[in-house]
Amino acid sequence: MTAGPEPSSAPAPPLAAFDELVHGEPAAGASLTAAGIPGRGRVERIQKIVAYTALILISLLFFVPFLWSLSTSFKPLPETAHFNLLPHDWTLEGYRQALTQYNFARYMANSAIVAGSITLTSVFLAALGGYAFARLRFPGRNILFFLVLGTLMIPDQLRLVPIYRMLTIFPVTHWNLVDTYQGYWAIRMVSATALFLMRQYFLTIPRDLEEAAKLDGAGYFKTFWRVMLPLAGPALAAVAILEFQGTWNDFFWANLLLQSPDHWTVQVGVAQFSFTYGTLWNSLMAASMIALAPVVIVYLFFQRYFVAGVASAGVKG
Amino acid sequence: MRRPGAGREALVGYAFVLLPMAVFVLFFIYPMVYAIYISRYNWGILGPLERVGWKNYTSLWHDTLFRRAIKNTLEYTVWVVPAQMALGLLMAVVVNQRIRFRTFFRGAFYFPSLASSAAITAIAIYLLNINGLVNKIFGLHIAWFYDSRTALPAITGLNAWTTAGTMMLFYLAALQAIPTDVYEAAAIDGAGPWRTFRKITFPLLKPGHFFVAVVSIIGAMKVFDQNYIVSHGSGGPDYATYSIVLDIYNTAIKDAQLGLAAAMGVVLFVVIFVLTILQWAFFGRQEAA
Repeated sequence: MTAGPEPSSAPAPPLAAFDELVHGEPAAGASLTAAGIPGRGRVERIQKIVAYTALILISLLFFVPFLWSLSTSFKPLPETAHFNLLPHDWTLEGYRQALTQYNFARYMANSAIVAGSITLTSVFLAALGGYAFARLRFPGRNILFFLVLGTLMIPDQLRLVPIYRMLTIFPVTHWNLVDTYQGYWAIRMVSATALFLMRQYFLTIPRDLEEAAKLDGAGYFKTFWRVMLPLAGPALAAVAILEFQGTWNDFFWANLLLQSPDHWTVQVGVAQFSFTYGTLWNSLMAASMIALAPVVIVYLFFQRYFVAGVASAGVKG
Repeated sequence: MRRPGAGREALVGYAFVLLPMAVFVLFFIYPMVYAIYISRYNWGILGPLERVGWKNYTSLWHDTLFRRAIKNTLEYTVWVVPAQMALGLLMAVVVNQRIRFRTFFRGAFYFPSLASSAAITAIAIYLLNINGLVNKIFGLHIAWFYDSRTALPAITGLNAWTTAGTMMLFYLAALQAIPTDVYEAAAIDGAGPWRTFRKITFPLLKPGHFFVAVVSIIGAMKVFDQNYIVSHGSGGPDYATYSIVLDIYNTAIKDAQLGLAAAMGVVLFVVIFVLTILQWAFFGRQEAA
């Protein structure tokens, strides 16, 4: 990992790095065609058969659990005792009960509130900071950026006790922020990964456009807001998606901080539901499907941005 | 020579980074220092009771529950890391072939890695319940998460399955970094696919193996969500799923022994830190070579 960044160097946009993995091509290695080498045809065929057999087995391993659970979520409760692949009586009863009786409509709204607000602030603050670290010159910039990257080394598990203590009695103001959205939002307001992604992207944008804006007499903030942000669309999208997915899925902090049932996110709700009504399988699976759905949808449409997150995870180690 | 406007640019720069830096300092850097501070106190719900120096750390040695948590976490790590690596590598090799719908399969296999741990754990609880699909398929009658012999292995299997997609992506990147001409040479020499994999692909993936192993180990040390959810937070049955992070959580939240919990956090942090540094040192060398 290069912690001491070279401001002048312009690495490829972080999105491009793993793009290839998603869109395939070019595949190296074993998929090499053996054209022109006599006697290779049979080996190629065997290799194909082995590859497809493995693919089918892995696919079963990956698809069956989800499809089985999805099917169960549409079954009436008595039917969950049987092993019919598809429901005999398709019903939305599991979903209806989960959403109304077991309060998942509320948990979904709570998740939407926290994930939405955290995504918004994180994108804005990461862009603002990322732009400054990429473009503006100020004394101590590299040290500060090193500090930002250094926070990637601090695991949540170490932060658990001090953060819990800080939010119980906030320094100076003595607010109690445990079990409030504000407290949860505050500790996740922006992430180093997001800021790092934004900075890397801004480094790749040519300077000419900014210079032109400056000549037109635009101030720094206006240049950032009107010129640079619109150019950073792909990076903004990647950061928004990563932050949304991370917050939507978060169990560790939500479970610790959002304690009262009125404040539970959908993930905490699923866990609590499994504690209390463990064998209402159709409702439990309906709740799980609801908890998975937003990320599934975002993933279907914006797959490539998720891979940008892996690329940066590789950077952060 | 000072550029004109440099002072103003610097001021604007500080203004832009002020809020993000405040968050990083207040909620990351300060807590790290604060954790070490708390760990040197006997610290209850209401605050510090007495300064105990390093006693929290030394008492961890004799803490049977913490030792159990370490044993469980290590046992889990020893199994889950090779499982994740093997499955991830297998998947990477398969989806690196010229197969139909390759992009679709890559995307699908990666999906569990980004799905919520709570929902996936609920699905696992359902599939592994005593009347569940897994028992049905294999003709077994095991209450996986309620039997102290099978609970931790079940979590191991679950997390190997969930995280293999991430390992697959890292391995794909490593596979595609292998130069094609090596394979051309092997093909001309008449090496079959298995021999090519064993003699060329696997050894050439060495930096990839190391990277994936460290990522996997660090992840394994932090295991919490699944253990918490399958055991209702108790780490049961009979402490079989009690992990280090679960111990930190319970010691801090249920027992309100914040000093002791902070000490555990610091110990875990040091282990993860050393692993990360090892990784960087190794990769620095790789890049230089």
